[in-house]
Amino acid sequence: MAKWGMVIDLEKCVGCQACTVACGMENTRLPGEHWQDVIFFQEGEYPNTELKWFPRPCMHCENPSCVAVCPVRATYKTEEGQVLVDWERCIGCKYCMIACPYGVRFYTEEKPRYGGPDVKAVFKSGDARSWDPPWRAPQEDWRHGVGVQPHDVVSKCTFCYHRVSKAPKGTADLDPQNPALREFTPACVVTCPTGARFFGDLSNPHSEVNKQIAYKNGVRLLDHLGNKPQVYYLTGEGGSVPAERASKLKV
Amino acid sequence: MIAKQEPKSFGEVFALLSRLYREEGAVNFLKLCFTLGKTPTPAGRWWMWSSILTVAAFLFVMYQLVFVGHSSFNTSSDGVNWGMAISTYVFFALISSGLTMIASLAMVFGFKQFYPVAKRCIFLAIITLASGFAVLALELGHPFRMLWAMPTGMQVMSPMFWMGVFYSIDLVLLFIKFYLLWQEDWDSPLSKFVGAASFVAVILASGMLGLVFGSMVMRPMWYGPFTSIYFMLTAALCGAAAIVVTTYMAYGFDRRNMGPHLRELAEGADLPKVFATLIGITLVMFLTRFWVGLWSNLDGMDGFHALVRTPLFHVELWLGLVVPFVMMLSPGMQTKMSHQMTAAFLVLGAMFINRYEFIIGGQLVPMFKGMWAASLLPYEPSATEWALTVMGIGMSLALYALGEKLFHLSAVPPTLLETEDRPAYA
Repeated sequence: MAKWGMVIDLEKCVGCQACTVACGMENTRLPGEHWQDVIFFQEGEYPNTELKWFPRPCMHCENPSCVAVCPVRATYKTEEGQVLVDWERCIGCKYCMIACPYGVRFYTEEKPRYGGPDVKAVFKSGDARSWDPPWRAPQEDWRHGVGVQPHDVVSKCTFCYHRVSKAPKGTADLDPQNPALREFTPACVVTCPTGARFFGDLSNPHSEVNKQIAYKNGVRLLDHLGNKPQVYYLTGEGGSVPAERASKLKV
Repeated sequence: MIAKQEPKSFGEVFALLSRLYREEGAVNFLKLCFTLGKTPTPAGRWWMWSSILTVAAFLFVMYQLVFVGHSSFNTSSDGVNWGMAISTYVFFALISSGLTMIASLAMVFGFKQFYPVAKRCIFLAIITLASGFAVLALELGHPFRMLWAMPTGMQVMSPMFWMGVFYSIDLVLLFIKFYLLWQEDWDSPLSKFVGAASFVAVILASGMLGLVFGSMVMRPMWYGPFTSIYFMLTAALCGAAAIVVTTYMAYGFDRRNMGPHLRELAEGADLPKVFATLIGITLVMFLTRFWVGLWSNLDGMDGFHALVRTPLFHVELWLGLVVPFVMMLSPGMQTKMSHQMTAAFLVLGAMFINRYEFIIGGQLVPMFKGMWAASLLPYEPSATEWALTVMGIGMSLALYALGEKLFHLSAVPPTLLETEDRPAYA
């Protein structure tokens, strides 16, 4: 059984946010509901300061605290390692949002993030979906948190479950350069113009993701919390990930 | 406000109601239900106005939820996920737990002087928990789904799962205990067992509610076993404050209306001593928590610096805790009704702020949102969230007035009356 993981090479990432847009299109997200976001942060203080960034999908942790806290088991981890939300079980208590150290979860019923217009009100839904986008991707699988979600549930990055779960068994790497595998590869990996993202089987010692982690010292976000993300960052010389929550309070 | 007579079984209740319905006709019957009797009483007035308030708030919340949805809350995925509705729920749930603890002083630990408030405590524990659950149900996205998804999911790792289990057990035990007290069964082995079991359940429930927050290592302002203890002990303080306020309310804020046992408790030094001790413990824990918060450099603890700069923090500390503490310690003030009342009101206000500041404050520093998010999240409860809180308070007050009218909440065990050779009061 594969254990899917992602490697993001920050030396290659240019912060273009194409991944965020591709994710939004692939998964029909609301404006601002960035399952995949690019987090910008500042290091140092003026005048010796630098603007840095890193892409932040869901970490699909090995020890996901969101799964442990869910009182109804709506959030769960699949055998292949994706952390998903069953929209037919979710009661919308938002405990998983409280417990996620990476802030990757979103509640459907909220005021528009960018101050309006409220897209959900403009494209009102006539059925159980929370809104009716003018265009939406065809896939829909509420038991795995795929598609336009119903009202009052929590949504999150699925590692493009609808694509990855159809990959041929035994695949070590989902390389978007390989036409045979491209349609099974997560949208953010496919779209990345600099090829900064790698997606593959962390349990396969010969996979490209494992090689990258080994050769280039892959690190994980907030590793001290013990959630053990399945998303690794290669910081190299140019990139970095913050050791803290990337927003320092000025008091 | 005190009930003159109490039906002793469900059969009697239905017989009484149906007789009233036949004699008065449907319109008058409904009118009587609304005013709680033909002659105006304080309980009737409280019931009427609180019910109107509750229904108005409920209708407003429902209107918002149906036509706007939970977007009418000011909560956001970028920061404050749990808003004032959750802090109101915690406020009520912990008042309920505290009231059960105060009732246990007499019923489990044998401090007989607290018997005159025991039945009222149990009744109030039921209605405050019900109010808390009502507020929570309207906050949840799919409250009814919880009924089947929790037992079928059995996620035993979740503190919220256990919170639900223990508070449900607590509510059932409270109902049984109140039924037994209604039947004047104070001392049977069953009654004693239910009393002891309620105490255990309430410790587990309030402690588990603490662990819902305390288990969150990624939220350092909440994290740690201390949170559980903090919730249990501050619950006891809330219970003490609530019973002082409600008991005086029941007697029209005049001790002369009270029976001898209750008046003895109200005029004696035991009640203020318990009250002062609980305020003192809360003060120590409060200051400990803020000391650690302000001292530590740990990422995420910065919210404490922001909290101490809010006026609410100082209202809570100085007006809501220090002033009542002094009042309840001073021999000249502690037994006076006006001071006990003031202290209890101030403490309840402080504890409402405390829950708000604990829950909202713990989320003020955004979680991994980068520098585009505000470094300290702005949050103010929306009109819907305020209405939900008003609904909870109104519901508690209304049900309390109803309880005072229907039940004899100041009842004491007959043995207490016999041994001290005092006339029963009713």
